[in-house]
Amino acid sequence: MIIVPKYLQKGDTIGIVCPAGFMASDKIQTCINTLQNWGYKIKIGNTINSVSQNYFSGTDEERLADFQQMLDDDNVHAILCARGGYGISRIIDKINFTKFKKKPKWIIGFSDVTVLHAHINSNYKIATLHAPMASAFNDDGYKNEFVLSLKNTLEGKKNKYQCAINALNRKGEATAELIGGNLTLLAHLIGSSSDIKTKNKILFIEDVGEYLYNIDRMFYQLKRSGKLDKLAGLIIGGFTDLKDTDRPFGKTIYELIDDVVKEYNYPVCYNFPVSHAKENVALKVGCTYQLKVAKNKVTLQE
Amino acid sequence: MNRKKFLSSILIAGAAIPVVGKKNIYQNDYDKPIIIPKYLSAGDVIGITCPAGFITDKEIQPAVQQMQNWGFKVRVGSTVNKRDYTFGGTDDERANDFQQMLDDDSINAIMCARGGYGSVRIIDKLDFTKFINKPKWIIGFSDITVIHSHLNRNFNIASIHSKMCNSFPDDFSKAEPAQIDSIISIKQSLVGEKMKYSFLPNINNKPGNAAGALVGGNLKTLESLSGSKSDIKTENKILFVEDTGEYLYSIDRMFWNLKRTNKLSNLKALIIGGFKVKPDEAGEDFGKTIYDIVLEKVKEYNYPVCFDFPVGHQKTNYALKCGVNHTLSINNTECFLKEI
Repeated sequence: MIIVPKYLQKGDTIGIVCPAGFMASDKIQTCINTLQNWGYKIKIGNTINSVSQNYFSGTDEERLADFQQMLDDDNVHAILCARGGYGISRIIDKINFTKFKKKPKWIIGFSDVTVLHAHINSNYKIATLHAPMASAFNDDGYKNEFVLSLKNTLEGKKNKYQCAINALNRKGEATAELIGGNLTLLAHLIGSSSDIKTKNKILFIEDVGEYLYNIDRMFYQLKRSGKLDKLAGLIIGGFTDLKDTDRPFGKTIYELIDDVVKEYNYPVCYNFPVSHAKENVALKVGCTYQLKVAKNKVTLQE
Repeated sequence: MNRKKFLSSILIAGAAIPVVGKKNIYQNDYDKPIIIPKYLSAGDVIGITCPAGFITDKEIQPAVQQMQNWGFKVRVGSTVNKRDYTFGGTDDERANDFQQMLDDDSINAIMCARGGYGSVRIIDKLDFTKFINKPKWIIGFSDITVIHSHLNRNFNIASIHSKMCNSFPDDFSKAEPAQIDSIISIKQSLVGEKMKYSFLPNINNKPGNAAGALVGGNLKTLESLSGSKSDIKTENKILFVEDTGEYLYSIDRMFWNLKRTNKLSNLKALIIGGFKVKPDEAGEDFGKTIYDIVLEKVKEYNYPVCFDFPVGHQKTNYALKCGVNHTLSINNTECFLKEI
């Protein structure tokens, strides 16, 4: 059974860290203000006001120490990763989850944070929160339904989401554990100790800035490593900023995915609001959801 | 017959087919010695096929001419000059062409016309039963890493990692010596010469001597095979990797994949070929070189590591016999890789 961390109460503390790429602190301010308005205290990690001059928010040791400190601090009730980028693969095997296992807390983020979701799900069976990060709060984003879905989820409200229908949807219903994240990272983790198990689960996937051929290759990797044949359901989120080669791939992103999964009978929905764009609802990785893909309606609810 | 009975009779009939049919060829006893396909002689036939990207008939002509000059006959497959968007035909067309070349006894080697993307889409459609009984050389690199890795992992059959039809110079007399040497190394490998390559020392190398089976190929492709039945095994082997057009952060992530899937821990040696790095975007300076990226992954291991080995998406890309035993010698004055 999955272990669900405690939901937050007003006055609880959210730690904010950058375990991967660098983020300028002024881009995090709206997020901090909003979380405070929601009634939480904020603890700022050392990787937030970092003086790093390169891609990362700090050295591996600095990012690890910051994350570890938040993980072990009893006064921190949830950890929000301010942004993804790249870098968690570099520190994941050095993180000590001993204290976290005894006293789990919500770990929040997406994209590169998929490494944490997958690793924690596979090794510790503790639920994590795939949700918008700091930049989603900017430009009035803090008011939108997607950022507010994070607020609702942290407060313990049950998720219930809808999504527009798509001609390629495959109808059906499934009630199962939800797992997933960024496709590139899920593929990258295959064969490692952070690799996800997908049997009898609802898998959700999104990605950004990839070539169609590369997405095809990653779906083939999922398929050939046995991750697609025994799913309970498949949720395809946004594939934003797609690229194509000079010689076009010849299929749309949804046709490409449909081709890979058409031999299976489980429900599939497309364009679910989980993505690198604004449309990105909070999803509890490891928790049980009901997916209903009907002719005129698609719903996902806890 | 009622429905239930009808279904069960189908199931029984279906289940009987594999028993009387063929055995499962995917039951590899991994530690078997490598099987070397027969080397080629004058008059032997090289088939050209496109398991991945498309190529025109015109584009393969320099390769056809050259292979004929070497004394081989050339059979041009049905996927050459065929196009399905980026692919050299549909999956079925590419699989059928490759299958036909695998099964045709009068074809002695198969050269993939080019890489691109697509081998992984057909690898599970190919039936290697006949090929296993009578192996032949399969030649190519980049996306063809799928085939090298699949053959090595499952069947212990050697294959040739080398330039393909799209890299033969239009005019040999005007080509650079490095390119000519690379092309000639294909012929030398095919006729059974023991290959020996010298290359320049690099200050970042970790010196040492090693012996073991050579495996490897395109890093991105190797990562994309992780967890599949084509996944490469690297224990006690000399691993070579190359890649092109990737960001440093992505290369770093791929090396973490190798490390975290235990592909670096028990190597005999690591050979880093060409890495054409895509420049970091403004303000996103990765802060580590390719040397830093590799050396930090292997710092706890004692095997030799060398950089800038002449293999990759570049003019100097020597033919390497995947699966075959080699010795590697890395020191401050001389470096060489030698087939044994």
